[in-house]
Amino acid sequence: MKTLIRQSIRTGITFGIVQVFFILIAFNTMIGIMLAKVSGIKNPGEIPAPKFLIAYTILMGLWVGIAALSKKKSLPAGQKLVAGFTASLISAILVGLLEIGMTAILVNKIFIRDFLTVLSFDFIKATLFGLTPSMGILVTIGCILLGSLVGVGLNILSNLHAVQEHWKKDLAFIKNISEKVQYSIHGKYHLIWQIVGISLLAVAVILIPMKWGSYWNYVFGTVGLYVILGLGLNIIVGLSGQLVLGYIAFFAIGAYTMALLNAPEPHNLMWGFWPALLLGVVLSALSGLLLGLPIMRLRGDYLAIVTLGFGEIIRILLKSDVLTNFTGGPRGIQNIHGPSLFGKPFNSEVDFVYLIIAGVILASFVYNRLQQSRTGRAWLAIREDETVARASGVDTIKYKLLALAIGAAFAGLAGGIYASRNQFTGPDEHALMASINVLSLIIVGGMGNIPGTILGAFTLKGLPEILREFANFRLLAFGALLVFMMLSRPEGLIPSHRPKYSKPKETAADLQKKEVPHDK
Amino acid sequence: MNDPSSLPLTPKGKNNLQTNTNNAVKKIQSIQNSKFMKLLRPILGVVVSLYIVFRLYQVLVVQHEYGPDTWTRLLISGLIIGGVYALIAIGYTLVYGILFMINFAHGEVMMFGAYAGLYSFWAFKIIPVAGNPPTNFLNAYPILAIILAFLIGMTVSATLGYFLEKIAYRPLRKAPRLVPLISAIGASIFLQNAAMLLFSPQLRDVTNPEILRRGAGWTIVVNGSNVVLPYTGVFTFVLSILLLVGLYILVRKSKLGRAMRATALDKKTAALMGVDVDSTISRTFIISGALAGAAGVMWGLHNGLVYYFVGFIPGIKAFTAAVLGGIGNIPGAMVGGLVLGIVESMGPAALGIDFQLKDVLSFLILIFVLTFRPSGLLGEVLSEEKV
Amino acid sequence: MKAMKFLAVFMVLALLLAACGQAAATEAPAATEAPAATEAAATEAPAASGAPEACADALGCAVFAAGDVIKIGMGAPMTGGNASYGIDISQGATIAMTDAGNIDGWTFALDAQDDGGTAEGGAAVANKFVADPAIVAVAGHIFSGATAAAMPIYEKVGIPMLSPSATNPALTTTGSTVFNRIAFTDLNQGNNAADYIFNTLKVKKLAVLHDGSDYGKGLADIVAAQFVKDGGEVVIEQAITPGETDYTAVLSTVASKTPDAVYFGGYTAEGAVLVNQMKTTGLDKAIFFGCDGTYGEDFLTRTGANGEGAYASIAPASPDSEAKTKFNAAYLEKFGKEAGSLSPYTWAGYDAAAALAAAVKQVAVVADGKLYVPRAALVAAVRGLTNYVGLSGTFSCQSNGECNVDKPQFVVVKDGKWTNAQ
Repeated sequence: MKTLIRQSIRTGITFGIVQVFFILIAFNTMIGIMLAKVSGIKNPGEIPAPKFLIAYTILMGLWVGIAALSKKKSLPAGQKLVAGFTASLISAILVGLLEIGMTAILVNKIFIRDFLTVLSFDFIKATLFGLTPSMGILVTIGCILLGSLVGVGLNILSNLHAVQEHWKKDLAFIKNISEKVQYSIHGKYHLIWQIVGISLLAVAVILIPMKWGSYWNYVFGTVGLYVILGLGLNIIVGLSGQLVLGYIAFFAIGAYTMALLNAPEPHNLMWGFWPALLLGVVLSALSGLLLGLPIMRLRGDYLAIVTLGFGEIIRILLKSDVLTNFTGGPRGIQNIHGPSLFGKPFNSEVDFVYLIIAGVILASFVYNRLQQSRTGRAWLAIREDETVARASGVDTIKYKLLALAIGAAFAGLAGGIYASRNQFTGPDEHALMASINVLSLIIVGGMGNIPGTILGAFTLKGLPEILREFANFRLLAFGALLVFMMLSRPEGLIPSHRPKYSKPKETAADLQKKEVPHDK
Repeated sequence: MNDPSSLPLTPKGKNNLQTNTNNAVKKIQSIQNSKFMKLLRPILGVVVSLYIVFRLYQVLVVQHEYGPDTWTRLLISGLIIGGVYALIAIGYTLVYGILFMINFAHGEVMMFGAYAGLYSFWAFKIIPVAGNPPTNFLNAYPILAIILAFLIGMTVSATLGYFLEKIAYRPLRKAPRLVPLISAIGASIFLQNAAMLLFSPQLRDVTNPEILRRGAGWTIVVNGSNVVLPYTGVFTFVLSILLLVGLYILVRKSKLGRAMRATALDKKTAALMGVDVDSTISRTFIISGALAGAAGVMWGLHNGLVYYFVGFIPGIKAFTAAVLGGIGNIPGAMVGGLVLGIVESMGPAALGIDFQLKDVLSFLILIFVLTFRPSGLLGEVLSEEKV
Repeated sequence: MKAMKFLAVFMVLALLLAACGQAAATEAPAATEAPAATEAAATEAPAASGAPEACADALGCAVFAAGDVIKIGMGAPMTGGNASYGIDISQGATIAMTDAGNIDGWTFALDAQDDGGTAEGGAAVANKFVADPAIVAVAGHIFSGATAAAMPIYEKVGIPMLSPSATNPALTTTGSTVFNRIAFTDLNQGNNAADYIFNTLKVKKLAVLHDGSDYGKGLADIVAAQFVKDGGEVVIEQAITPGETDYTAVLSTVASKTPDAVYFGGYTAEGAVLVNQMKTTGLDKAIFFGCDGTYGEDFLTRTGANGEGAYASIAPASPDSEAKTKFNAAYLEKFGKEAGSLSPYTWAGYDAAAALAAAVKQVAVVADGKLYVPRAALVAAVRGLTNYVGLSGTFSCQSNGECNVDKPQFVVVKDGKWTNAQ
């Protein structure tokens, strides 16, 4: 009992701090406005009506209540009640203390906004639900307690534990079926299944972009480009195990090649899309080789910082006065002409989505073939242990350079399409954060496999678009989600399985046993 | 190194290089020195060195653009910024030395320290002190105010560092190596935006006490022209060096320092020897956070500008400095920071290139150094066998 | 079988997104009627049956039922290193929406979306706006890169733009019909500033600095060229890295050339630091000459005594009109900051949004209890803006979309205040 209460107090303090933080960044009014919009009010203004803020507070209480019991599966109802009540009381007291402070600011008319920018008098009044301060604080505490009691009640009534067990069974069942299906796919119906599945998917791929508005086509296209980038970086990081942080530099080389060859300014060369794309890919691959030559001795974090530096060097040079006449300097290059195929120019997002889907399929195909080839096994050997790989006769430098060049070529492909789709490219498009985004997406999705990369690209580029409703809070939520995802799924959303080159019946445990001798 | 987290990109539970580490390292080096590389590097080295000498000769002797007064000014500016870089770089190095992870959110820890310093100075300015004429706490007791501001800034940053480790990194200690890095990136994005929402995106000015007024300083005469040695700059430099020396002594002599070094070498054995690994790691984060906080307050005092993005560039630079000196190595971080600061301020002038390209120069120097010394200037002590 | 697996994941996610897209489309409050085959129209079938008499427009009309809100879009960096510009300009524009009042009960609202200042974000936001039939015009975008990528997308459906701050000269050379800007043009400002420095201030040796942005570099290049043409000497031209707070190194090299004045193209953040650090690097006697990016109250508070005698060139405006005072008070009241303390473009943001609202009022038609905003007429109305008196100047749009081409006015800091210079 004592430990239970201690744990609940700790939960209460954590959630109290989180709630205080939410109020100090005006998260409550933002959620209030969203609630108001959902309930049909079209222009709720800057500060929503009190009832929506009350709803927000109850929701917060509900969260505390559920969170306080999240890890306590089988407790008697009375103890659950005690735990939930303690946690919510503590957090309510913390919020209440904040509101007392806010009241003091309001009563004494202190201008505190230089320090904490959201605390305007209107905001404080709204946070107190437009009531007198003491009433407002009481209502807040009441709402949090009420919400948490609802949460505890839900927990007791539904017996979440049992539900979870049930779910697990269901999942196991589904898994079983899918394994059977897979078996049958691998089995005698192999070819038929493959043809049916692929043709169904192909029809869907062709039809769906037509149904979307241009916005979702654009978002989908961006995701597709990042899938190509992700696959390229996956060859470098996921397969051959070299941590590269300046990957976007290769993307920039592809984009600028396209831009310089296909825009009226600064050079008016007008080579056309396809030759420029090809040249961009080749140049990116070459730059990958050139960068790789002097730094092949480096490993791990040293390689990371050197490639980070390379990315920054490319960006600064593109922007600098030295190259202004050649690259357009900070202004970037505008009016890049798009591709045309069999005389039909690409001029809508739908056309580009098809182009990007084609690029994704090409990239996945190449990735897949490489992974399963002799080269892929060599990379794997290097990733697992470079010394051993070398000792087994793998030419590590050659394969590492190859990985860098092929990965860079993928980025060049994505960059070329990107520049002609936006009809613009500038140095600030290729900043460090873009490299970090690509790295994050392959790790969030699960390193070294194609479905993971696709899921990661959707998470990293699709999620911020879905989070648009959060306005200023968009990246805050994104950062928190990134941490949360890593904590809950450190292996990525779709973990990679070690490729099995031996008999399919062997389990993972057997494999590990076998590997032990190599460790010594 | 038998901790799985210390191996690059290795899945859970897979060990290598357990024994014969040194032999393996030697083997790697001998293998890496293939004919091609053997030829390439000296050629590269000679070409680059010749070019640098040629440029230096041209700028210093032929063109003779800048007098000794300019060089003195550049040196002063480089030393000051280098000191701050060194202080932040120590944070990266300490954490890296123990956990082998890049604490990407370290710049944001510094940013919160800078905000704490900024707000402390503002608050001290508001507190009235009776006197003739009536003054405020900041100018009545400037030394006390500065000490308090530093304590507040260091406390805030140390607390932040502690919770950062506890929430975002500790659960991932056994995960593959890149996972904590992404978690750190997420934390960095979160903290940046949290500061923007809490304190508004406005750029803020630090109110310095009168004795450390920005823009004032001792004047020395070099080559017939006045060179100002700014008070804030001297203060920043001296304090950075003091803190660095203090830290060095702490790590070398104290019990905690011994525990840190033991943990860095081998966590399992350290735990067997009675070192509380978790608490040692926590304390490491507290120390690196406190140093970043001090750097933040100094940054505010000297440059006068604080906003939510203020930690980003120094963070990247300090990381570069840490690698330049040899990551995981404390004197290396100091040397790396100072070298980077001086290269940034004197390099473009010495080579006669545009100041816009100073970051290009510093990264090129980094690549150059790492090509010849793959583990940094002083980097054999902790890192070679791990990466 | 990997290929199958990945395609399956791809499609499931695609369907999910499609579902989101559908949801967003149905949420939209108003319908667009567009005879032209635009993509926005594809999401909604023509709605009101009695429309043709009220709406006879080549690009169709935005239709608002009773209680709907007329939305003005804005693409601005709301997160990341340049967020202060986006947040500030959108806050200024929000006040314009309140001040714009209503058309027979239909009120205005600002829909500010984060574009990060990049082309990728700009195109995403533009595609989002064209899919929302309630957006009639866009006050933006804020940064030139985002604007360049967004322009062709608005062009297709006929949504007029009025940017408060995208200064890249190339933007108005592409022949776009929808893009207009009230940002002060570089060429005009730069040439006049160089003449003023040479002729009036009698400066013979000028150092030119810029922050490497398209705005700062554009201005600095023009000033340097014109100053040389006038017969002066540009002793050094250097770019600084924006976002830093220590420029003593670059200033020291500038000082070694002993210029009489330092011209800086860029923003207050870096400009104020430069002014402060000029005092300790041997440039204490040189005149600091800024541009409209360094003008503002914030420059004064940040430089204090060091800023005394600094010049700036600004768009000619009645410095403290009644409307401006009212706006400043409203801004302080609402956002807790002095107007102009986040960026120099607050007032321009207000002007852009207010001018767009005025143009909407001009062309909107009420019929059958619905409000119709004809799109092509609105595009023409924005381009036809003449003698619109705003807070930051008086605007008349030319045929290429430049709306602010007056000669600049020069101001100098005297006793801690910006005053008109002779």
